[in-house]
Amino acid sequence: MKGFAFGQYYPANSVLHRMDPRAKVICAVAYIVASFLCKNTFSFVLLFVSAFALILISRIPLKVVLRSVRALIFIMAFTAVLNIFWIVDTAEGAVPLVEFWIIKIYTKGLYHAAFILVRILAMVIGTGLFLTYTTTPIALTDALESLLRPLAKIKVPVHAFAMMMTIALRFIPTIMEETEKIMSAQKARGADFTTGSLAKRAKALIPIIIPLFASAFRRADELATAMECRCYHGGEGRTKLRILRYHARDFLGMLWIILFIAAIVTLNILGARFGWLYTM
Amino acid sequence: MTPFINVRKITIIKKTKTPRPNPSAVGTENGAAPAVPIMNQTENPKIRLENINYYYGKGTPFEVKALDAVSLDIHGGKLTGIIGHTGSGKSTLVQLLNGLARAGEGRVLLDGVDIWADPKEIGRVRYRVGLVMQYPEYQLFEETVYADIAYGPRNMGLPEEEIQARVHEAAAFAGVDAALMEKSPFDLSGGQKRRVAIAGIMAMRPEVLVLDEPAAGLDPQGRHTIFQGIRDYNRKTGCTVLIVSHSMEDMAQYCDDVVVMAHSRVLMAGDRDHIFARADELETVGLDIPQITKLCLLLREGGMPMPAGLYTVEAAEDSLMKLFSEAKKNRRGGERS
Repeated sequence: MKGFAFGQYYPANSVLHRMDPRAKVICAVAYIVASFLCKNTFSFVLLFVSAFALILISRIPLKVVLRSVRALIFIMAFTAVLNIFWIVDTAEGAVPLVEFWIIKIYTKGLYHAAFILVRILAMVIGTGLFLTYTTTPIALTDALESLLRPLAKIKVPVHAFAMMMTIALRFIPTIMEETEKIMSAQKARGADFTTGSLAKRAKALIPIIIPLFASAFRRADELATAMECRCYHGGEGRTKLRILRYHARDFLGMLWIILFIAAIVTLNILGARFGWLYTM
Repeated sequence: MTPFINVRKITIIKKTKTPRPNPSAVGTENGAAPAVPIMNQTENPKIRLENINYYYGKGTPFEVKALDAVSLDIHGGKLTGIIGHTGSGKSTLVQLLNGLARAGEGRVLLDGVDIWADPKEIGRVRYRVGLVMQYPEYQLFEETVYADIAYGPRNMGLPEEEIQARVHEAAAFAGVDAALMEKSPFDLSGGQKRRVAIAGIMAMRPEVLVLDEPAAGLDPQGRHTIFQGIRDYNRKTGCTVLIVSHSMEDMAQYCDDVVVMAHSRVLMAGDRDHIFARADELETVGLDIPQITKLCLLLREGGMPMPAGLYTVEAAEDSLMKLFSEAKKNRRGGERS
């Protein structure tokens, strides 16, 4: 449980860290769109290279970034395998690479599997680098609140959502720590979570879940009191300590993403015209 | 007439820094002793820690050495206090004793047998060494106080009448009122919850009872009740008890032996009289010594012949009165001549 690292802020001194969180949210969304626009080998190669370029720019160790990828290995492997077996090349003269019983594997299938892998990898790395790794959770919710503000006109409680998200993020590590403590305490009383039938193991979790809920409610209660003591009354008329401002680097970042999308679209069109390699 | 106490001299005393004392000074080396001399060594210790090194996050840039070459004996049947600052390694130490944590280097011997000799049997060790963690009231979960205290014994697979006997015995030791037995533990006050949680461990009748800060966050009256109950338990059952605390005051009052932790090491260990005789050393590592000990030290430094290592108000009063009557006698003798 100590190794829980998905979406944790990693402090470093880089342009990505200094960018305005709103610009980063926009870039992250654009990056996902870009990864879906990729159509042929060349654009996927560009996408792949860009993901690693982002890691270099962010100055976050490769090992740290790959840790969040590791959590998705199962999904990646599953989709890759599915593609390898599912894709049937309907082009004329296409011969299966391997033919065995009802299984037919085409070269196209292998390419598709590779494409999907690159796409998932790029999405995870891209969003991670733009958002969770380089942006503190507080800055992120600030950005979301600011970007979603127009929705407040149609009575969407944007501030309340942002506050809920901030609090939820803030308490994840606290509750993890608490879980570990309660587990130790119950183990000291002879609780056993690892042996026995499934029903027995599920029952063994009760001594953890109940104290955990009790303490979550107690914390919520205390937090509410503490917020009221400091006159919290929702978003109305609330000012900010740190006001978000766009700088040149933010516009440059967004410009970079636009150019990136343009490059991918160009590669797609050229690929379609000249029949380059495999396309999706 | 010479003044009884030279007040002016006391107020200008500067704290002199003495070099950090060598931890090996207390422990005595034995023939087949491991690399580090064992502190507080005894024949047939209840628990022996041998050359323990414990790291957090080993192999990462965030590696922290929580315990550094700890070798220590815990005497059977005694009430031992473990004192140290936050981060001195005392909470880590107690988690090693019942196998909640396992040291990378070194051994933990319970009655001379390595507790990790058979890792599958570590559950049995946890019944023999009962650990009450910090803020144990947050681990209560059952519908009634009775059921919660019975959780440990039930996990041990004891028959129902045995469980019942143990629950009532433990409740009496921990000071849980019999009238509370059918209440929900969530309806109790903080101090009551704490006592129920302690009873929950006592009901397992461990050979060693370890309590991590059992009185943290309680008022003086609550502290006293808890410590008194633990001491009674120790005296009546003969069970070895360890208490982790950062309060010298409490340790001086209730413990037989004291282990002082500082900077991940055992700084000194021994019986209470020995440790408090070295109160000045405790002060140099920044530990709070009991206020009465501090006063006696100041008096000594001010030139009064007070005995070293006083830690109870009664003992200090006695020796002060003795000095006072001696001084009176001398003065009278002086006037006469």
